[in-house]
Formats: sequence, structure tokens, C-alpha cells
Amino acid sequence: MSEEGHSHHLELEYHPGLPLPNGKLFMWLFLSTEIMFFAGLLGAYIVLRFGAPVWPAPHDVHLVEFWGAINTFFLICSSVTIVFALEMAKRGASAAAKGWLLLTLILGTIFLGIKAYEYSSKFSHGIYPSKPRSRMHERADVNYLSAVGERLQALQSEIEGSVGEGQELSETGRQRLQLVKRLQTGLVQWAASTAALNDDPVAKQQALDNVAYVIYRGHRSAADEKYMQEETAALAQQQAKLTKQKSQLTARPDAEGEDAAVAAEQAKAVTAQLALVNSRAEVLPELQEAHELGLNEQYPWLKLPMVIAGGNMWASTYFLTTGFHAIHVLVGLITFLILLMPHIQFGPHNAGVIENVGLYWHFVDLVWIFLFPLLYLF
Amino acid sequence: MTEHDTSAHDDHGHHGNLGLFTTIFIALCVLTALSFASFHAFHSTPKVSWLVMMAISCVKAMLVILFFMHLKWEANWKYVLTFPALLMSFFLLVMLIPDVGWRGDHISRERALHMAVPAVHGKAHGHDEAEQGHEGHGNTHPEEQHHDAHEESAH
Repeated sequence: MSEEGHSHHLELEYHPGLPLPNGKLFMWLFLSTEIMFFAGLLGAYIVLRFGAPVWPAPHDVHLVEFWGAINTFFLICSSVTIVFALEMAKRGASAAAKGWLLLTLILGTIFLGIKAYEYSSKFSHGIYPSKPRSRMHERADVNYLSAVGERLQALQSEIEGSVGEGQELSETGRQRLQLVKRLQTGLVQWAASTAALNDDPVAKQQALDNVAYVIYRGHRSAADEKYMQEETAALAQQQAKLTKQKSQLTARPDAEGEDAAVAAEQAKAVTAQLALVNSRAEVLPELQEAHELGLNEQYPWLKLPMVIAGGNMWASTYFLTTGFHAIHVLVGLITFLILLMPHIQFGPHNAGVIENVGLYWHFVDLVWIFLFPLLYLF
Repeated sequence: MTEHDTSAHDDHGHHGNLGLFTTIFIALCVLTALSFASFHAFHSTPKVSWLVMMAISCVKAMLVILFFMHLKWEANWKYVLTFPALLMSFFLLVMLIPDVGWRGDHISRERALHMAVPAVHGKAHGHDEAEQGHEGHGNTHPEEQHHDAHEESAH
């Protein structure tokens, strides 16, 4: 065989493996593992998203579609600039190639900057992937109510502890302390007592739901709005009824012995109930004033626990998928920085480096192409 | 290797076209705008909008893979390196959707008992409210006692 080949002047070169440069082969093998990695993450998202009974709307969790779309645009731009960088390197135009690389770096940095801004807007609203930082509760139940009570208690001691002995609270401090105390009775105690005194389970739940509703208006709820509107009248009715009861009980000077003791006890209970109703009536205008935004937005320093059904699962998947994507973007940016070092000159001989980095960068873009609709628009 | 490097330079001509890449770039931008538009256009029928958006995403992905990643012009090794991974991820996702993704369409009583409170506009609302009433009794036990005490005092 070889002799025959020799006689025909045929020189065969032995090629091990696939007909492409080693660097490119490595990059494609790496990318095929990356495809499966992100498929796993997206699979987890699908399991949790579509298997969940409730999922927050983007607006509920401060997800703004516009920023996602803008970020998509910047990433697509950076994808095309790295292609231009490769073309320039192939043509031996090193300076132009570096210019396009620099532009890619800038666009990628803008992407990360917007991502950071989006993250911080979640964090500032108490949306974190896990407790104790996360202030999201799944449902308005007694645990939620007690969490709100605990937070108000902590706020009270924080404000009271902020001044030393004999010092006066500042004007804002005093106002805040007043609001906290009003909320402790008019919001938390009121809801607890309403839920306890009602035999109707729907009414019990309505009282707890109302607490969640005045704190955080994730979604517009017709039932809650109606409840709030009708409450002023209902409270006035209760006040009138209790005042009458109280006057009846206290205006019995003729009662003696056991009768008097029972009457006094009843009067005490009615007085307590009347005080609670009064405190609710006192705080109600404030709650209605925060109607459009919710207490947490109206008074950002309150940082009360809020109910976002499905919010914890949403946060876990959102931060996991976008977080891993952001890490990939960061790695890409670091490689661009390395390639931009002044002593490197690009030409046809080393254009393969830009090609490999470009393949990686396009993959990062690919992942975002699927993440954007899945996370922002679904 | 050197041989292939030169062959790569030979076909430089038909994919070294900057105009083509610009066209692809514009197409990608338009497709992004379309998927954004479909979100608003099919707002009342989310499943249609999901289908449209995923179709658009697949088209965008193919444009990026074929042109930006040069796979259109590569030799047959591209199938060896990309197909296994793509198939595995495709089947992973396809199997998860009916198996897990659709399980919420028919909620058993058992599951309804343990799920989070749906938003008022959420699905399975009626289901849950009955359950909550149930749970409300168990949870508010301490207050219930207080409630009894109050009733005694009122009579």
C-alpha cells in the first residue's frame, strides 16, 4: 500500500480525531455539556413553575418586562460585535478586532449592570431566595399574622432603643413610633380578634387576607377593596352598638353581689372590645390612604412581612437561573479583558482564539434567548 | 491541522460577509420585539402566547447557532458534537412538561390540602377556600379559647 502510494507521489497525512482545531473541539464539547447543564436548570424551572398551584405575576415580584427586553437587545448586540471582531481578526486588522472586542465588553458590562439593578430592586422589596432575608409568606395565616406582630414589636424596641436615657425622640422617630403602635392594635390585634370571634371560616380568612392586602398590594383584589370600603360603615355601627352596651352595663347601680360582679366583668370585656374597635377606626384612614401602594411601599422603613403566593419558589428559580447565566456572562467578560491586553496582536494566525471565545459568548446569548420569555413573559 | 486552517480560509469568502451578519442581527431584534408583542397580543390566552414565544425563541436560537456560531458552514462533525446534548435536553424538557407541568390541571383533594393559597384570581380558587376554612379552625386554636371566654362573659 505505502509503496504504491509512494510511487504515485501521494502523501497521506494522519489526522487523529475530528477535523477541527483542538481548541474549537474542546469548546464545542464544553458547550454540549453546558447545553445539558442549562437544560437541567430550565427543567427545574418548568417542574416548579408549571407544577405549582400559584405563580406570582411578573408585576407582583417587581419584575419589569421592559428591562428584560432591553437586556436581550444588549446581548444580541454584543453577539454581533464579537462576530465582527472575529472577521476583522481574520482579515488581519488587529486594531479593528480589538475595537469590536472592547464594544462587546462594554455591552456585556451593561447587561450585567442592568441585571444588578434588577436584583437590587428585588432585594429592596424583601424578595430574596431564602429566609431569613426573604420577607415573603405563602399565605395569610396565623403564622403570617404573628410574623407581622413580631416585626412591629422589633420596630418598636428599635425606635425606643435608638435614644438614650432622658433624651427626646426626634419628630420622625415619634411619628414612626406612633404609627407602629397604631398598627399593633388596629391591624394585628384587630385581625387576630376578628378571626377569633368569627364563626364563619370565610370571614376568618378575610380578616387575615386583609392584613396581607393592606401591607402589600401585589394584585388588585376586588374582594379586599370592597371589604375596605365597607369597613368604615361597619366600624361605626359596631362602635354605636358597643357604646350602647357599655352604657347599659355601667348604668345599673341597683345591682348587687354576684350580679354586680358579672356586670362589671361584662363591662370590662365590652370596654376592651370598644377600645379595639376604636383603634381600628383610628388606623383605618391610614390604611385606606396607603390603598394604591400598600403600607410597605408607603412607608419603606416598615419592611413588614408580605404575602406573595408562590413567591418563594419564584425567587428560587429566578435567582438560580439568572444567577448562573450572570456568572457565565462574567466569565465571558473576564476573557474579553484578557484578550484586550495591549501586547496581543490579532491576525489570521490567532483568530481561532476569538472564534472560541465567540462560540462561548453566543452560547450565553442562546441561554438568554430562552430565559427571557420563560422568566419575564410566561 | 494546517491543511484545515487553509481550507477554513478558502471558504472565508462565503461566510465572511458582514452584511449577512447585520441582517441576522436585525432579524434577531425584530424577533425579540415580536415575542414581546405576542406577550401583549395573546394576554388573555397565555398558552397561545407561550407557544408563539417558544417558537420565536427556537427560530432565534437557530439563527444564532447557524450563522453566528458558523455551524451552517462546518463539516459533519457538528452533528456528532451537538446532537446528543440537544436530544437529551429536548427529551428532558418534553418529558417534564406532561409529567410534572400538567399535574396541576387536575388537583386531588390531598394536594389541594397542602398547596399555597392561590391569589383571588388564581386557579382552583373555589377548591382552596373550603380547605382554608378547615385549616382556620385548627390554626386559631388558642384564640378560639379566648373566643369561648368572651361568649361566656357576654351572656
